[in-house]
Amino acid sequence: MKQNARPNPGRAAVFVLLATALPDAARTFAPLMTVLTFTLILLLGAYLAGLLGSLTGLGGGVIVIPLLTLCLGVDFQYAVGAALVASIATSSGSGSAYVREGMTNIRLGMFLEIATCIGAAIGAFVAAYLNNNVIAVIFGLTLILTAVNQLRRKADHGAVQGSEAARRLKLFGSYPLKDGTQQPYELTNVAGGFSLMTVAGALSGILGIGSGVLKVLAMDTLMKVPFKVSTTTSNFMMGVTAVTSAVVYLQRGNIEPGIAFPILVGVLAGALTGARLLKTLDVRLLRRIFSVAILLVAANMIWNGVAGKF
Amino acid sequence: MKDLRNTIGLTLRWGVLTACAIALVGGAAYLLHHGSEPAPDYSVFRGINPEYTTLTGIFGGFFNFSPYGLIQAGVIALLLTPIMRVVFSLIDFVGQHDWLYSAITSAVLAIIFVNSVASPV
Repeated sequence: MKQNARPNPGRAAVFVLLATALPDAARTFAPLMTVLTFTLILLLGAYLAGLLGSLTGLGGGVIVIPLLTLCLGVDFQYAVGAALVASIATSSGSGSAYVREGMTNIRLGMFLEIATCIGAAIGAFVAAYLNNNVIAVIFGLTLILTAVNQLRRKADHGAVQGSEAARRLKLFGSYPLKDGTQQPYELTNVAGGFSLMTVAGALSGILGIGSGVLKVLAMDTLMKVPFKVSTTTSNFMMGVTAVTSAVVYLQRGNIEPGIAFPILVGVLAGALTGARLLKTLDVRLLRRIFSVAILLVAANMIWNGVAGKF
Repeated sequence: MKDLRNTIGLTLRWGVLTACAIALVGGAAYLLHHGSEPAPDYSVFRGINPEYTTLTGIFGGFFNFSPYGLIQAGVIALLLTPIMRVVFSLIDFVGQHDWLYSAITSAVLAIIFVNSVASPV
């Protein structure tokens, strides 16, 4: 555990190396494994996914998909089912702490969940008609957006003049500062945020990931919600959004028990470790390295998708 | 609002831990039965055994102590966690006579429910 006490570029480098292995290579090696080896590799991978997902705030699904498809040669259809399991586990595992600290805006989350759930239902429906390679390219593009957003400079909004709609919906709130006082805030552009949330939900329904990047863009950029509140509220919403599409995927047979079990256990353990580490360590360097790693995975996904390898 | 936060926090924590415990038992049984077999071929999607895609099938497997049934029951517990969170919030909003948010929360539940029952598979 001591090793985890500071950002570890080595781990990111290993991840990149693994991710750049072509799915073809994975398909050659996968049949040589026993169920036990496969499960142990998945457990370890899922643990790292949960850990990195919670340290970087991206959720477990973003890492689970390339792990399964690129490194282990698993079909996208199973990978999306596993990513949904990972997203719900991360959201619920780390959500409980944020909610109790009072950082999450519960009303805002509830209200926007209408949009993300409608989107997720549409996304899960549309996904049935999409080719794996198309899904890979969409995933790659989402990763690029995510990496760019991670590297973007975050400036907190000055005093925001809230809109009338937001006032009527009782969306204004306050969040605790380090010294224990409450910082009140207002927000604006409810319609814009709601629309972008529908798109975020649809993306989540197609890819199984939390699509935190679009949620944060909607809340932070459009609605001018303080950054900490938008990230924690985005995480809070992820579980309910993922459940909406997960019920469809479960009935379609995309959630394979042999994959779901190590993913659920590993991601949850990783997310809980991450949540504990997050209090003590400075993750800025890790986030920067990780953004570069994500760009490489994105390039790999798009390349293989365009080449029709999935 | 503080009570609601605590309720939600506890629901999420206990839900996810329950799901994990059930999946662990199922996973251990799965490894005992199939651990030394060659890993299944997941490289082409065929869909899983349809028995484990419905509630009746999963709970049948759960009570027969079948490894797959247990793992899927763990997945169901995981899916129920955020749903229970919404249900408890609804109860709280109704208790506060916050009718606007009671309606919003009900809408979220309705979307999840209709989508799970009526989804064209």
